Amino acid sequence: MKKFNIAIIGLGGQGIITMGTVMKNAALSSDLRDVSGSERRGGAQREGYVETFVKYIFYENRSEMSDPRKNMHSPMIESGGANALISLEPLETLRGIRYLNGNSTVIFNMTPYIPVSVRMNKTEYPEISFIVSELEKITENIFYYDFDKISIENFNSLTQKNIVALGALFAKTDIPIHTSAIEKILASGKGAKDNLRAFDIGLKL
Amino acid sequence: MGKGNLFVNGIDADKAIVLGNEAIARGALEAGIGYASMYPGTPASEIIAVLDKNKKYIENLYTEFSLNEHISLHGAIGASWSGIRSLCAMKNVGLNVASEPAQFLAYTGVKAGLVLAIGSDPGAPSSSNEQDDRWYSLHTFMPVLEPSNIQEAKDFTKNSFDVSEEFSFGIVVMAPSRLCHNAGTLYFGDLRDRSNIKGNFKKDPENYLNLFGMAVKNHAKFLERSELLKKFLAKSDFNKIINGGRSKTGFISSGVIYAHLMEALDVLGVDDHKILKLGFTFPLSEELFKEFFKGLDEILIIEEAEGFLEFQIKKIAYELGFKGRIYGKEFFKRTGELTLDGVMTGISRFLEKPLPAYFDFAVRKDKELSGKLPQRSGTFCIGCPHRATFYSILKAVGFSNANGKERDVVIAGDIGCYTLGLLPPYSAMDFLTCMNAGLGIGQAISIFDKKKKVIALVGDSTFYHSGIPVLINAVRNNADVLYIILDNSWTAMTGHQGTPSTQKDAFGIATGNAINLKDLVKTLGVSYIKSIDPNSVRRFASQIKSALKEPGVKVLIAKRECVLQEIRRNKILKKNENGISGTGESLYEIQKNRCVKCNECFTELACPAIILKKGVQGEENYYYIDPASCVKCGVCYEVCPNSAIRKVEFDLRPEFKLIEKKIDEELSEVPANI
Ligand code: SF4
Ligand code: SF4
Repeated sequence: MKKFNIAIIGLGGQGIITMGTVMKNAALSSDLRDVSGSERRGGAQREGYVETFVKYIFYENRSEMSDPRKNMHSPMIESGGANALISLEPLETLRGIRYLNGNSTVIFNMTPYIPVSVRMNKTEYPEISFIVSELEKITENIFYYDFDKISIENFNSLTQKNIVALGALFAKTDIPIHTSAIEKILASGKGAKDNLRAFDIGLKL
Repeated sequence: MGKGNLFVNGIDADKAIVLGNEAIARGALEAGIGYASMYPGTPASEIIAVLDKNKKYIENLYTEFSLNEHISLHGAIGASWSGIRSLCAMKNVGLNVASEPAQFLAYTGVKAGLVLAIGSDPGAPSSSNEQDDRWYSLHTFMPVLEPSNIQEAKDFTKNSFDVSEEFSFGIVVMAPSRLCHNAGTLYFGDLRDRSNIKGNFKKDPENYLNLFGMAVKNHAKFLERSELLKKFLAKSDFNKIINGGRSKTGFISSGVIYAHLMEALDVLGVDDHKILKLGFTFPLSEELFKEFFKGLDEILIIEEAEGFLEFQIKKIAYELGFKGRIYGKEFFKRTGELTLDGVMTGISRFLEKPLPAYFDFAVRKDKELSGKLPQRSGTFCIGCPHRATFYSILKAVGFSNANGKERDVVIAGDIGCYTLGLLPPYSAMDFLTCMNAGLGIGQAISIFDKKKKVIALVGDSTFYHSGIPVLINAVRNNADVLYIILDNSWTAMTGHQGTPSTQKDAFGIATGNAINLKDLVKTLGVSYIKSIDPNSVRRFASQIKSALKEPGVKVLIAKRECVLQEIRRNKILKKNENGISGTGESLYEIQKNRCVKCNECFTELACPAIILKKGVQGEENYYYIDPASCVKCGVCYEVCPNSAIRKVEFDLRPEFKLIEKKIDEELSEVPANI
């Protein structure tokens, strides 16, 4: 049995849950594959922290699939247990640090959304360089882009930033899912044309 | 019936990615339910929402968003007694409201199967407490079933209808938010034929007339039925024993915590122990435990909260004369969510087996950092009328965050989107507990502390839920309270279910029977009552000031529809008119040269569409309205004391196009809470 764990984090309204759903649907094409992962929706008002996990499970054979010691999976990822972390908000990346280990890949978005505490002058928003240096203490595989800007430049809209980030995930990690599986799902959903293009832009980053 | 989708039509061997809540609903559908109801509440809302949304494709299905949980469970009982399999859903605290029907259900029994699906909320991310509803069953005697994953959520729910009918109990299916909002693979089963779902209430006075000696008789009958159920559970597939190797230590767990346990054992490389997986966690069968205890001299119970299983199992062990040790809460915390991390740590301590190095490192790193990061909390949506309401209230009675001095007005909070007003920058609530506690507690404070004025807040959905008697009580007993009803016409936080205030649905179709809230309040005996648009913040603030000077119960209705619904409807209507937008376009803009950075709009009103922009080339930082986010509610325009914000009417700026798309995105992920 092999596993590949992805933590996706960001804020309510950024399309985090959609990303998770697209990725999970990509697991359906094989019978020896399972997928689990909870979403943190509660507390997901505007600008609140949201996270969703995608855990791919690859069974070696049928008997493993029916083994009760193998076929039950937590909806959560343990500390240090993520193969990849995608964060759509820079500061939140640091809150996701708990999922990282030395081999994890981090992909994060550079556009900040300023929390109320900073607005009220109670705390300061960390610089991107600080975020990167904290991440570097854990892993070398760090990639960051301004997904908001990329989305606006290409689509005149913020809607596609999550799918661009999804493309980046496939470009920068050895995720054992074929890009065509994602493309098939995007092609059958709403806004297929834009989403396929966004995914491709991400793949080329 | 129409076409529908996989949720409606899926048959045996089809599979899909579904939410835990949807899996519960699908299980009930496969079992042939004809009735489904709830009062919306996170994390359970999608259970009934998905059925309601699809009912046009489903033959003979009645759905209802009831006014409260008490009504909802009674409805399910009525359907059951009419021979209709019924599903009632609620969040954990909903059972407090429905506890009365729940207490009677064992006495009277059911006719057709009845399932009560409860979404619990450990860690309380969307609730005002983290109660473990399983404890109720020690006196309601309702059997409790805990699925561990998506597949079990469907299968257990489906099969529990048979158990309900055979033993004449309503069955509780418990799912914590981690399962409700887990999305994963579900294999469908076959659907029952729905054409013959027809009600027929057969009189059964012996069971249904529950009083005096008859109640005592019914009491004896359900105790007997509970014993029969235990016999059944000793052998049923709902509970499972996994045999171990040579270890004399056994583990017991249930639900999502069992899923954490299995993953933790896998990560720690432990596979030698006998494991009891409980599907039904009430009642527990002594016979099953006799079997499990064999060959063990040590047991660890892995569960959340105060230890419902441990409480029961220690008693059974004593009665069976088990000589070994039983552990539980020594290794797992009683408060907050028990996470995968928590289970791993507990197992590692218990087995004295070290945690993987990467795990320890990540935990340490997180501890180091977390204290240093700016906190982030949710806030009202951009353009939300509640923001205007809180701004107006604080304008009238004083911002506590501005000067740190205590307000001499007590603000009573209540449950709904507006609960967010207790967070900074507003910090505008002095207490918050359960539905309609605000006015009830506020009334007594107004009687005993004459020095302080009391403002009690309530939303329309919460008011209709159980606020009417509270208001009558306040009026009858001469309370001195300003009661502000924030009427946004929707139960917005849980995904926009209608309330009796809803006049038009999202498609613009009139509901026909909306209640006139002002008339209703008048009928309840309130003489001081005014309805006001909260977005007119200056008028609203002065209205609050003058109302506070009056004696008795005063009611202000802050009436403005939830902005998300308004935008959604406008979009739909616009689409239907082939994209022709009739109105001239406008934009709100901060004029840099006039703005003196007084912070009125930025920190006091704190609309997230107003942002601080970095000045370029030595220029100072300045406030800016992000046109991609602003929904043009105009409140900031009214708030600015320096007339620095202006409304610009104009044709098409390139950035203007963003507005609509941004909203599209926001609507695709409507937040769900409380
Ligand atoms: S008009 Fe002002 S208050 Fe209203 S959404 Fe726009 S920026 Fe916010
Ligand atoms: S309220 Fe007016 S003057 Fe004050 S910060 Fe806002 S725009 Fe500037």
